[in-house]
Amino acid sequence: MKVVVVKPERCVGCLQCRFACSVAHSVSESQFTAPYETIVSKPRIHIGLTNGKEPFPNKCRHCNPAPCEMACITRAIFRDEATGIVLINPERCINCGMCAMACPFGVIRYHFFVDRRTSAHKCDQCFRRQKEGKIPACVEVCKVGALVFEEYNKDMDKATDQMASLVYLGIREKEHEKSPYPTLLVHKNILQEIKRR
Amino acid sequence: MSDYKEYSICKDAQLTLKKAQEDGVETAWDRLKKQEPQCGYCELGVSCRICVMGPCRIDPFGEGPQRGVCGADADIIVARNLARMIASGAASHSDHGRDLVEVLYKVGSGKAPGYTIKDPEKLKRIAAEYGVATANLSNEEIAKRLAEAIMEDYGMKKERITFINRAPKQRIELWEKLRVIPRGIDRETSEIMHRTHMGVDNDYVSLLLSAVRNSLSDGYGGSMVGTELSDIIFGTPKPGMSEVNLGVLKEDQVNIMVHGHSPIVSEMIGMAVTDKEMVGLARSKGAAGINLAGLCCTGNELMMRWKIPMAGNHLMTELTIVTGAVESIIVDYQCIMPSLGQVAQCYHTKLYSTSDKAKFPFMEHVEFTPENAKAQAYRIVKESIENFTRRNKAKVYIPDAPVKTMSGFSVEAIVAALGGSLTPLVDAIKAGKIKGAVGVVGCNNPKIKHDYGHVELIKRLIANDILVLTTGCANVAAGKAGLQVPEAKELAGPGLKEICGLLGIPPSLHVGSCVDNSRIVVIACALANAIGVDIDKLPLAAAAPEWYSEKAATIAFYAVSSGIFTVLGVMPPILGSKKITELATSGLNNVLGACFAVEPDPIKAADLIKNHIIDKRKGLGLPV
Repeated sequence: MKVVVVKPERCVGCLQCRFACSVAHSVSESQFTAPYETIVSKPRIHIGLTNGKEPFPNKCRHCNPAPCEMACITRAIFRDEATGIVLINPERCINCGMCAMACPFGVIRYHFFVDRRTSAHKCDQCFRRQKEGKIPACVEVCKVGALVFEEYNKDMDKATDQMASLVYLGIREKEHEKSPYPTLLVHKNILQEIKRR
Repeated sequence: MSDYKEYSICKDAQLTLKKAQEDGVETAWDRLKKQEPQCGYCELGVSCRICVMGPCRIDPFGEGPQRGVCGADADIIVARNLARMIASGAASHSDHGRDLVEVLYKVGSGKAPGYTIKDPEKLKRIAAEYGVATANLSNEEIAKRLAEAIMEDYGMKKERITFINRAPKQRIELWEKLRVIPRGIDRETSEIMHRTHMGVDNDYVSLLLSAVRNSLSDGYGGSMVGTELSDIIFGTPKPGMSEVNLGVLKEDQVNIMVHGHSPIVSEMIGMAVTDKEMVGLARSKGAAGINLAGLCCTGNELMMRWKIPMAGNHLMTELTIVTGAVESIIVDYQCIMPSLGQVAQCYHTKLYSTSDKAKFPFMEHVEFTPENAKAQAYRIVKESIENFTRRNKAKVYIPDAPVKTMSGFSVEAIVAALGGSLTPLVDAIKAGKIKGAVGVVGCNNPKIKHDYGHVELIKRLIANDILVLTTGCANVAAGKAGLQVPEAKELAGPGLKEICGLLGIPPSLHVGSCVDNSRIVVIACALANAIGVDIDKLPLAAAAPEWYSEKAATIAFYAVSSGIFTVLGVMPPILGSKKITELATSGLNNVLGACFAVEPDPIKAADLIKNHIIDKRKGLGLPV
């Protein structure tokens, strides 16, 4: 299953993912008309800030097993078997707040979904867009590569290859420099390379 | 491999785009793809970079911040951004106009060798309008005095700019009531920059009214000065035939192109290329001659006056270099993509910037002033001819044969074609042979299929007996589609066809460059005065189907402020404010008698305009 992998060190806090998420979950799917709809669509991705103001894009991880699903007494929260995506049926939601209590990531919010009826809202991994062959809106709009749509294992494979390059960079550097402190030097170069990328 | 048919309707563009890809050249379409999806906050106009308590954004979905750090809400932020857009457009046209005032003054002072007064009759007419005495004075002395009088229009000595008096009485009274009569051309632009500074004007209605005033200081100020003085110095255009598209480039000749907006530089180049000595030099380098062609609005200026052919509009500028057949491009200012120098790195084309105001990467700067323009023009032309020997013949690709087009419809020329007055046009409108008139103007924008917006709209308007006036990039689009020749009357409705046949004119008339939208304003004012009503009562409309620039926003604003319904093909960045959107698309009707519509589909835009013209005809009691 492909998921939205977050690379927090790349996020610049531009909030484009939130904007695109709202548009993708509106009725018209157009940014020009979405703010004018009766029920204005709300974003399902949230940007947290550390004390040092570093941003972190935070969204549903589609856990398996999912604590929110287990806590949902009305079975409003369920898993789509074909894709593995955790979804919410707003008609069944009673706004009891159990899912929010159970969620370890703080990514559930409560909003109107029709006039005067509220439901839990969270990321549906752009279920509707994926059916049309599109990737999630937040990933599409992210210009800095902080959000990537990939299977976790494949992403980890890429990270492994990247690590291999970094290690060899360090080894070559060590041979070249003939440093009395080879281990330290390798470590320093890796850090520099990570920063550069 | 991209599908170039999606990019442009023009054969020359499609074929040259293919070569661009083979040559590894990046174009505006490629760069748009890399930018997409573009910033939604900016597209709705709710991002503010005015001060460094920010940058701030308003969340249009209501969950995030609803005010910037200063406290400005979406209405204030959208209004401030829009006003600054108008100010930039007005500044561009007005600064272009100012350069012509400077040349006129220096012609009068004998300090501008190469420049003359080509239309002394118009000089005297405009001088009279400015209250400048002409009796027993030389043309040079009148030129100097007129230039000085216009300089005052740019300053703060006057209560109102001079050409505003060309508007119908009713319109002037309305503007007086709204307190939007421009007092000075530069003053209004400067005031907008002040008003939009943090902590000055924070009432969106007041901000928009000042933007109206600034746009009028362009339409009846800077742009009108630009047009009228260009006519005085370089001659008032008369109708004649020319050619258009990339096929105007000649495989066996030295191809020199001018690009930008002001005729001050291009006219001098035009003079130098016809010099026998230069032509002789070209022959000695193995070329059959020197071929001058235009791009964008400076091309429109040359085509209007001298029927110099045009190679293309805004989105064709990069592709022109890709032909490999261009020895040099000489640019002045506005709409010159900073990518041009990069594209030219792949070919032998030399690029020259000429204005102190406009310098570009990978361009050689050869500064033009009224004093040295002639000498500099000869220098550049000579270097361009020498560059012919560096042309790689294997890389030359001229994709299509040129198309015939007609140009030169200044107000004076239209009146002359009608037999000396506008009465025949008024009669034709009253009788319903011509249902109305529409200015189709503005740019290209890769967000709209190149030239499709212009061509499809014009075709549908003329088929409905609506006379079209084109300027700027719209002219090249219509010309390439064969809509600007007298034979195009066959595509017009029966009434318009009859009138075009009688007068020997096309159903879509080329009236000039983008400052020459002032010619359309003059015609609208004259029609209103002839019928004895305000402009907003007339069956007129304007359209900018493929607009991209701040200048186009200003033009649209002065059109609506004059009472002309205006349809935009690309969404302006205002939808983040519900109040301003409501005002622009309907509320303004109650204030100015006209409003905006946004419609990217030219077929639907044509219907909107057609219905509007029917409504206006009904209002005047004319047959529909």
